Amino acid sequence: MDTTISSKNVTAKKTRAFGLLSRIRRLPRGMLIGAGILVFYLFVALTGDYWTPYDYNQVGTGKPFEKPSSEHLLGTDQLGRDVFSRVVEGTDIVLYLALTSTLLATIIGGVLGLVSGFVGGWFDQVAMRVVDIVISIPFLVLGLLLISAAGPELAGSFQLLIFVIAFVYAPRIARMTRAVAIDLVTRDFVTAARTRGESIWSIVWHELLPNATGVILVELGVRAGYAPIFVGALGFLGLGVRPPIPEWGLMISENRPAIVSAPMAVFAPALALAVLVIGLNLFTDGMARLLGRTAINV
Amino acid sequence: MSEYITGNSKTVLPDVSPLIEIQELDVEYWQQQDWVKVIEGLSLQIFPGETFGLVGESGCGKSTTANAMLGFRPRAARYTRGSVWFENKDLLKLTEAEKQKIRGAKISLVPQNPTTALSPGMRVGRQISETLLYHRYCKDRKEARERTLELFKQVSLKNPEKIFEKYPHQLSGGQQQRAITAMALACNPKLVVLDEPTTGLDVTTQAQILDLLVELRSRFGITMFYITHNLGVVAQICTRIAVMYAGRLVEVAPTEELFSSPRHPYTQGLIASVPRVSKPSRKQSLLLRGLLRRDELPPGCPFAPRCEFVHERCLQEAQVLETVADNHQVACWRWKDVPIFRDRFYRDVAIEYERPINLSPDQQRLLEVKNLVIGYGSTGKGRFFKKPPSIIVDGISFDILPGETFALVGESGSGKTTVARALTGLTPYTKGEIDFLNAYDLTQPVDKRTDEILRSVQFIFQNPDASLNPRQRVSKIIGRPLQRFFSLSGKELRIRIEKLLEDVRLDQSYYNRYPDELSGGERQRIAIARALAAEPTLLLCDEVLSALDVSVQANILELLIELQTRKKIAYLFITHDLAVVRSIAHRVGVMYWGALCELGRVDEVYNAPSHPYTEMLLKAIPEPDPAQQMPHMRKDVGLIVTDMKYACPFAARCPVKLGVICEQQEPPWRIASETHMLRCHIPLEELPDRLSEVWQAVS
Repeated sequence: MDTTISSKNVTAKKTRAFGLLSRIRRLPRGMLIGAGILVFYLFVALTGDYWTPYDYNQVGTGKPFEKPSSEHLLGTDQLGRDVFSRVVEGTDIVLYLALTSTLLATIIGGVLGLVSGFVGGWFDQVAMRVVDIVISIPFLVLGLLLISAAGPELAGSFQLLIFVIAFVYAPRIARMTRAVAIDLVTRDFVTAARTRGESIWSIVWHELLPNATGVILVELGVRAGYAPIFVGALGFLGLGVRPPIPEWGLMISENRPAIVSAPMAVFAPALALAVLVIGLNLFTDGMARLLGRTAINV
Repeated sequence: MSEYITGNSKTVLPDVSPLIEIQELDVEYWQQQDWVKVIEGLSLQIFPGETFGLVGESGCGKSTTANAMLGFRPRAARYTRGSVWFENKDLLKLTEAEKQKIRGAKISLVPQNPTTALSPGMRVGRQISETLLYHRYCKDRKEARERTLELFKQVSLKNPEKIFEKYPHQLSGGQQQRAITAMALACNPKLVVLDEPTTGLDVTTQAQILDLLVELRSRFGITMFYITHNLGVVAQICTRIAVMYAGRLVEVAPTEELFSSPRHPYTQGLIASVPRVSKPSRKQSLLLRGLLRRDELPPGCPFAPRCEFVHERCLQEAQVLETVADNHQVACWRWKDVPIFRDRFYRDVAIEYERPINLSPDQQRLLEVKNLVIGYGSTGKGRFFKKPPSIIVDGISFDILPGETFALVGESGSGKTTVARALTGLTPYTKGEIDFLNAYDLTQPVDKRTDEILRSVQFIFQNPDASLNPRQRVSKIIGRPLQRFFSLSGKELRIRIEKLLEDVRLDQSYYNRYPDELSGGERQRIAIARALAAEPTLLLCDEVLSALDVSVQANILELLIELQTRKKIAYLFITHDLAVVRSIAHRVGVMYWGALCELGRVDEVYNAPSHPYTEMLLKAIPEPDPAQQMPHMRKDVGLIVTDMKYACPFAARCPVKLGVICEQQEPPWRIASETHMLRCHIPLEELPDRLSEVWQAVS
């Protein structure tokens, strides 16, 4: 009896379209734009130090709060530093802080949420109540608590900031991924894995995580956008990045008093941040859609 | 003027103009950056008073046709050619406002899934009055309410006033479908489009709904357009049938003629694929081969790749419907060469696999279940507030022999699936004895089981869409149990996966694919391969066929039987479909409300004496043969009278209930033969007579 079902024709069609260019062209347009923005930021972050007209820390390159001119593309700030140079040279710091901290938060929160949602019962209840408590503390207050607990010698260091952001964001991400896990555990493929007697980690890794990537990616994009603002807010309280480091959030808060007289000093870093957030979101959104074949639609 | 007969009623096809006419319709869908033709050159006419059936596999364009008939264009669809004429208007050209006046008032729809079709936050009665008020069929709320109550009575809903005030989730599936039917009938439409109205329902409920439709049709003379994949249903209710394949009609004929002499090879295969209760033998060579693949259609006849009569011309040139007899049209170049169906069907040697089972009592049992009680709810482990678990299965006993297929049948909610879940250790409360291989105790929960038990008992789920991880490739899905139980890796693993794919008759090209690139039947094959990977001795099959098309069902059924013959695996086969059971099972247990009411070999259970419930289930199956009319007796028989659970669980629905004894005393097991027993207060000798009396009295 020869009823073997052949699917050769289909595969043939697929291989033809394997060329890299045609594959890129098939990607969602939003994702390509997002990727373009991110590549641009990465380029600026890596090379910025070499082609900026001034050093970010050079005081008195012009009068304070100068208007944009050919000499100072985006004007100057309160100390007469060149805003354009500062924004460009701050890119690597912002990318480093935002991405590492949110990545860390996503890993911790994602694992906690998935495991908690899968295990359920008593463990889930305790874990989620703790998460609720952490979420209920306003994040600035929580950040202040953590930084002051860490002691003065660590204050202002990047490692501490990354840890603080991760600690603040992880519970929020855990909540999201737990909701996904709760939905997934009732699916038959998870039941099938349970009847095989697979371990918790194996189920979380092989069955749950691949289906939660969409949600996690979108969450990552949104959180990474907030991270620099959070850093800026901490900086405003004197607990974030120390001046004169050209971190955008810090720049926004430093130049805030002059928002009317020299709007560019505030808007330039804000705009840079906004475009980064848009780029990140377009990219992660596209990724989530590209990975589309999940049990859960984002 | 032509005349044809369906069942008992004579219908005359008048020379009047059709009520609705589709002309040369082309529909395209936007799929992966391209317009794909879903329906091509569809023309059909429906005349006033007839019930026109449209059958075909899933994905052939049935529901798209229904949409066109309502003038509805779904998102990502476009009508590139053709027209739909209704009352001298082209529905596809009307404005949205004009269409809204027609929809619900003149043409109405009974959608597939009543649960999603009713708005969950609105009382059922109001949803129907809303339709009436919107179309100004009733002038105020009071009048609308009266009309709604009247409609509820017409669709045989008991206590219309109570139903009016209820929310959809408070109604049973059958009641919801009745309410939806009432909504469709609300404004006295000329045409009712029924899109698989009974697909999600139990056989008994389906029989009741079909009965209701027949009654409504004779009372109000409604024209119906009935879409279904179930050939049994169309045979029972339709007067004329069109068979659709890949967006084209391949055959149109009056019901009698279509079933007695189908001309198109596809129609023949489709009819032969349906498992029958009365003729259990399978016709191997008549079964449809392969699958409907939209991406592999030749420029000519879409069925050509699967057709055994295929000719060069078929591949090149598309054929059109051609009249072969009165009212009978076929779209096939070679219809003259296709042998007559009856000859093929009866001359064909039925293939029976040798699967003899020694049922003697001293035979070693693979699985022995005694007084199994299963419940959900509290496990009662050291909690402050112990709630008694709600019992789903209440004391059932059966056994399974090595290499045997034991089927559990019953309606939804009878506890069949719960039994299978208990055997895999997934139920929180399991009491009683489950003895596996005389060595293991299967009442243990899954996390306490040894690898040996986990491996030996495998589960195949109802819906392959949900049971395969959408983010894993086929190789990983099948590979996981191999890694888990046999610690295979590398080349060895690959060879085993390929061997398993071969076992389920899929070629190597499936190795790297994702489930969403497969059809339903292929997915179920992958699910079977995954279960086989563990080399089980007991395979629990939970409604493995119900999510599949008839032709695919027949092939999967073949596959399961063949695998059993080769690998000597025992199946616990759970299904609601008694016709399927007849083809695969050695023994059957009939379950009602958590208890077994009949147990025996297949041929014994399907013949008298049988339990009143078994009899009711058997009578409710629509046979794909218009000559075998279902008895019209279900209107009052078999409706649940109370929610009380009596000593005999079936007492509340039993048509031959004796009286108080059924409510208060547990019925005794009556032994019909060494292998056959049933549980009833009525002595075995009296049962068949009493039952036939009842059917006669109500029909």
